[in-house]
Amino acid sequence: MEAESEAATMATEKTPPCELDREEVERIRAKLVDASRMAALGGLMASIVHEINTPIGSILSNNEVMLRSLNAIEQKIAASPDADSPGLQKALSIIEMMRGLASVDKIACERISSVVRGLKTFSRADDGQPRETDLHEQISDTLKLVSCQYRQRIRVETDFGDLPPVECYPQLLNQVFLNVLVNAGQAIEGEGVVTVRTRREGEMVRVSISDTGHGIPPDRMAKIFQTGFTTKPVGVGTGLGLSISRQIIDKHRGRIEVESAEGAGTTFHILVPVRQQPPDRGAAGEGEPT
Amino acid sequence: MTPTVFLVDDEEMVLTSIRAFLSLETDYRVATFADPEQAVDRLRTERADVIISDYLMPKMNGIQLLARAKELQPETPRVLLTGHADKQSAIQAINEVALFQYLEKPWDNAQLLLVIQAAIERANLYRDLRDKINELAMANSNLREIQTRLLKAFF
Ligand SMILES: Nc1ncnc2c1ncn2[C@@H]1O[C@H](COP(=O)(O)OP(=O)(O)OP(=O)(O)O)[C@@H](O)[C@H]1O
Ligand SMILES: [Mg+2]
Repeated sequence: MEAESEAATMATEKTPPCELDREEVERIRAKLVDASRMAALGGLMASIVHEINTPIGSILSNNEVMLRSLNAIEQKIAASPDADSPGLQKALSIIEMMRGLASVDKIACERISSVVRGLKTFSRADDGQPRETDLHEQISDTLKLVSCQYRQRIRVETDFGDLPPVECYPQLLNQVFLNVLVNAGQAIEGEGVVTVRTRREGEMVRVSISDTGHGIPPDRMAKIFQTGFTTKPVGVGTGLGLSISRQIIDKHRGRIEVESAEGAGTTFHILVPVRQQPPDRGAAGEGEPT
Repeated sequence: MTPTVFLVDDEEMVLTSIRAFLSLETDYRVATFADPEQAVDRLRTERADVIISDYLMPKMNGIQLLARAKELQPETPRVLLTGHADKQSAIQAINEVALFQYLEKPWDNAQLLLVIQAAIERANLYRDLRDKINELAMANSNLREIQTRLLKAFF
């Protein structure tokens, strides 16, 4: 948050009062705020991922060793001459119980692991060059992240078409998917469905994210991409999600479009070209160095 | 001779876990070090068949450690096991210390074991090759000697 106010003052100090109009000042300020917010977030995620991967690796490994050891003990007991004695029978049933617990631990760890894998995609610094990416893999990673937030309340449906590898900045696009998917979840009160559909359209790829939420009233449509526009309570929304997303899509020379029916739901269409032209310097969100 | 695995990680829990796994699955000797400098000291006196190191450690990072290992025991394969999601450091490592393998945490035990086995096999091949070259050199110099003696005897 400190970085944000710093960026804000920087922008105003460097701007001579009369040469740029208010809108321009606002636009540059917003860009700086967004860039520093993303850099801070990326850095934070990278260190969280690192802190979690080591202990998880240890637990997963121990878990496997434990399961194998239980099997070994069980075999020794089975091979012993008094395997039928009540004492050893009791031991066998304890082994069975421990095996059950160990399998639960394994599933629990794998769940943590998959969330962290999702975070990792966001933490990787952009190396400045767009690269060929399997968008479905990226979308699936992002879905893993939001599914924690959706829980049982929201069902996710995917309708993946045939996509070529797409030349893009994957972690930036993930940020867009994340923002739109989080919004979709927040728009649904109670139970609902979020659908992710992908299609190739000539030299473009279209990713459509639909929700069965409360929709957007027509008079609000024009405002949703503005930096700082939010209808959510303090602490829930900051109004940055869609404005960052639009900048990222601009950087890819793509489009982001929205259609909505009040009370029925909303669809965001994200269109990006399959190939990028030589990198567009100075656009939104340069990756942070590690 | 039982192969020796050198394992370096500043987190004791990783050392404990991998040592337990290897002792269950293999008969390798496992030498563990929470302090990379101690690992370097030991490499001066003891042969390792493979060295596996963490990346982010105090005092010395994994690449620096493996670079020292390369100087001390060039034929020992070097493996980096890292929780650091950083492609850049991986590429750097592969180039600077001729890395044998790059593994990410959380690691998969089965994969780790395959890498260790392959590394040990490679270390053995290297040593065999070196022995054969030495034998050849020896045979060659013996021949030379005989030749000299023959020449002396006849002329
Ligand atoms: N799927 C949607 N359904 C209904 N309204 C939406 C949807 N997506 C966005 N909006 C509206 O657009 C506004 C701006 O969205 P944006 O993502 O930019 O900010 P936010 O979600 O409010 O906050 P932040 O994303 O910074 O946490 C939202 O407050 C909401 O009113
Ligand atoms: Mg949002």
